[in-house]
Amino acid sequence: MAASATAGAPVAHHFDNLTQQQQTVRFGMWVFLITEVLFFGGAFCAYTVYRIWFPREFEAGSAVLNVGIASVNTFLLLTSSLTVTLAMRACYVGDQKGVRNWLLATIVLGSAFLGLKFREYYLDYEEGLIPSSRTELVRTTGSGEGVPGADFREQPVFVGNYLKAAEEAERQTGKSFVEEVNLTRVQLFFMFYYSMTGLHGLHMIVGIGLLIWQYVLASRGFFAYPGRYVYIEVMSLYWHFVDMVWMFLLPLLYLAGPHSWGQAAGQFRLAILGH
Amino acid sequence: MSEPRETIFEHEDHELPPTASTMTTFAVLVVLALAALAVGFSDLGPWKVLANLLIAAVQASVLALFFMDLRQADRLTWLCAGAAIFWVGLMFLFTLTDYLTRYIAAI
Repeated sequence: MAASATAGAPVAHHFDNLTQQQQTVRFGMWVFLITEVLFFGGAFCAYTVYRIWFPREFEAGSAVLNVGIASVNTFLLLTSSLTVTLAMRACYVGDQKGVRNWLLATIVLGSAFLGLKFREYYLDYEEGLIPSSRTELVRTTGSGEGVPGADFREQPVFVGNYLKAAEEAERQTGKSFVEEVNLTRVQLFFMFYYSMTGLHGLHMIVGIGLLIWQYVLASRGFFAYPGRYVYIEVMSLYWHFVDMVWMFLLPLLYLAGPHSWGQAAGQFRLAILGH
Repeated sequence: MSEPRETIFEHEDHELPPTASTMTTFAVLVVLALAALAVGFSDLGPWKVLANLLIAAVQASVLALFFMDLRQADRLTWLCAGAAIFWVGLMFLFTLTDYLTRYIAAI
């Protein structure tokens, strides 16, 4: 088993032996991951600054996110980390059918994550939780005493949409969170929400592309050499890294505000079944 | 033709962990994810984000050590992981010491 993992696979001409080739391949991915850590680190650093500056606004923004979809997605991603590891092991022990099946399982789980994520974006869009400079006129409660236009004031379209979503979230959780919040500034949170989950989603799409490519390779018998498990390993390093980013996105974006288990279950049911 | 010279890569004792240990790692990660949600849905106030970040850090460590196999990685790989944390730490340190002290400087 272990011996076969370092024997038999062809070695590229610029390497002395298979071990050197494998370790170089692994090192290359780790160097790339350093750049990825810094890439995401910039976004997390900016988030930290604004979260410290505007804690209430960030918590209020988080409170209206769909924590049901996020919770389910967390477990989909964790399971996909398991299946990609099992794909690597299948190659290592020479089980080519296992490689294909576990890669396919990972592709399915990753796609399910993205499908739910897009569903969530669509629901956010439907609720109008999009930062923008658009404003609308809303009726004020005070009497304008017959002066034309005095009964109205201008407010960002986002604020009106947000208040509707916040009312629903407060009803679901029984926790209030809009007092002393600068509602216009809640848009800042949503900028971070869309850009950070968007970047993460982009990495998922790239990862699924890699998985499909390796599935095609597996179908053509590329992984008949157990020594080539290292190619699945480096791809899994990337996949695990994307999972790791999500482990931080979940608490910082979704769990920052007040939520409850019942709300999560209700939101997920509503998002999937529509009632 | 002379024999290829000995390199540091000649000796390979890298072995993939057995499936049972992979399943254990997965179970630990699932339990930690449930803990993250339980904390997230609780009313810990300002402690919530700290508790959640702590859980996320433990999760990331388990993932890196076992799924990414840092546990039996060579020194070069550890250097990569260390460099990533070090540089991100520098970025946070210098950014936060600037942005979070600007008002103090203005007073």
